[in-house]
Amino acid sequence: MSTTLIVLAVIAVLVLVGIAGYNRLIRLNVSVDEAFAQIEVQLKRRSDLIPNLVETVKGYAAHEKSTFDAVVAARAKSTSASSVADVAAADGAMTNALRGLLAVAEAYPDLKASANFLSLQDELSTTENKVSFARQFYNDNVRSLNSAVKTFPSNLFANLAKVSARVFYEVEDPADRKAPNVKF
Amino acid sequence: MNFRKLQLANQRKTFELLFGMGLLVGVVVYAALTYFGKTGVGIVPFAVGIALISVWGSYWASDTIVLTMTGAKEIQESDNPKLFDLIQEVCIASGLKMPKVAIVEDSAPNAFATGRNPDKALIAFTTGILDVMDREELQGVIAHELSHVANRDTLVSAVAATTAGAIAILSDFLTRMMWFGGGRRDDRESNQNPLALVFSLVILILAPLAAMLLRSAISRRREALADATAVAFTRNPAGLRRALEVLAADNTVVAQRSTAVAHIWIESPLDGTSVSKLFSTHPPIAERIATLRKMEANPESY
Repeated sequence: MSTTLIVLAVIAVLVLVGIAGYNRLIRLNVSVDEAFAQIEVQLKRRSDLIPNLVETVKGYAAHEKSTFDAVVAARAKSTSASSVADVAAADGAMTNALRGLLAVAEAYPDLKASANFLSLQDELSTTENKVSFARQFYNDNVRSLNSAVKTFPSNLFANLAKVSARVFYEVEDPADRKAPNVKF
Repeated sequence: MNFRKLQLANQRKTFELLFGMGLLVGVVVYAALTYFGKTGVGIVPFAVGIALISVWGSYWASDTIVLTMTGAKEIQESDNPKLFDLIQEVCIASGLKMPKVAIVEDSAPNAFATGRNPDKALIAFTTGILDVMDREELQGVIAHELSHVANRDTLVSAVAATTAGAIAILSDFLTRMMWFGGGRRDDRESNQNPLALVFSLVILILAPLAAMLLRSAISRRREALADATAVAFTRNPAGLRRALEVLAADNTVVAQRSTAVAHIWIESPLDGTSVSKLFSTHPPIAERIATLRKMEANPESY
């Protein structure tokens, strides 16, 4: 009698642990999707700023054609990307193209002083921050998911929940590498 | 020391302190039982009830109550788009919903967060802090405040306040009963061993003090945890560190010095020198700066 009870209790506990583990994996997987959607939202915001920015810079520096072309090409490429790796690659290209555009603007004092450009620049810099925080949040979520998929006991339910390790969002950007911190 | 380890260490410490508070309740009930027998224990539900009602009302409505107590005014995105941009950035970094934002008209730089859960969160800034801090510093402050939201510190401090309150009420009741000699004489169930009696008397008198100390210690832990979580959000210990340096260098304090809401500000609004370190709701600011500096010195850690 009491042995049956104990066996039943053990089974009940195991089932509960199983359900919790399964649910956790599903939840982590959903948060990775949400985090990726957030990256796309912010990339869209950035890409919406571009026509205006290009027009403004053109007004002062019409002959810097190659720079504009790079930005426009990067923007076109980003609309077709859908997988994590593709989106990340397009994102990196865009980040670099925009950096080039802002570097060009440095050479035109009139442009730099124009109110329109200043407000665009502000908006671009906060959007750039949002993009990079969205990337970081996505990678944090992928890290949690991947460690849950690989560690015991949650790894036992990964197949059942149809959840597997996901790829990190990595942007190829030389400037993103951490520069050595030199302080005097 | 990286921020993940710091977060874990502070979470564990909070848990231990809360456990200690639970233990303290047990000891007080035991002392009451020893000294008064069953009559003493009968008071426990009353004490807990009173503490629950007084604390949980303010927990539930924390976002609105704190607004009135601090004189903060809620603002909209159009009132300060740059501030909202900064907050949105940290929200994206943390995955939190956009909180309500409020401003306190006060030249002393300070900020706080409240609200019973992340959906009801509110963060407030004094006009002073918005004036003196640059973008990066403000971002550190916002990350610290949103960390309180993410870590559910309104809940943690409500739990601590309830337990400390219940202990205080209980001890107050029982020492009064003792004073008037009630309850004890006819009660044959109470312990007659004089040593046990003296011991439980001491416990009853010291328990509220011990509860206060534990409560302050929990508050200090949550501050340290919020600093570590802020770095987890921004990956930029330098921003928060410089913000704390600004706060440390500034010796104006927020005009309203209500001790009831002292624990919610990023920098304690009470004059630190007059309050002993044990009762302080915040770790010494120099210590917080030093911890952040250590993280800065080791960029691999975040």
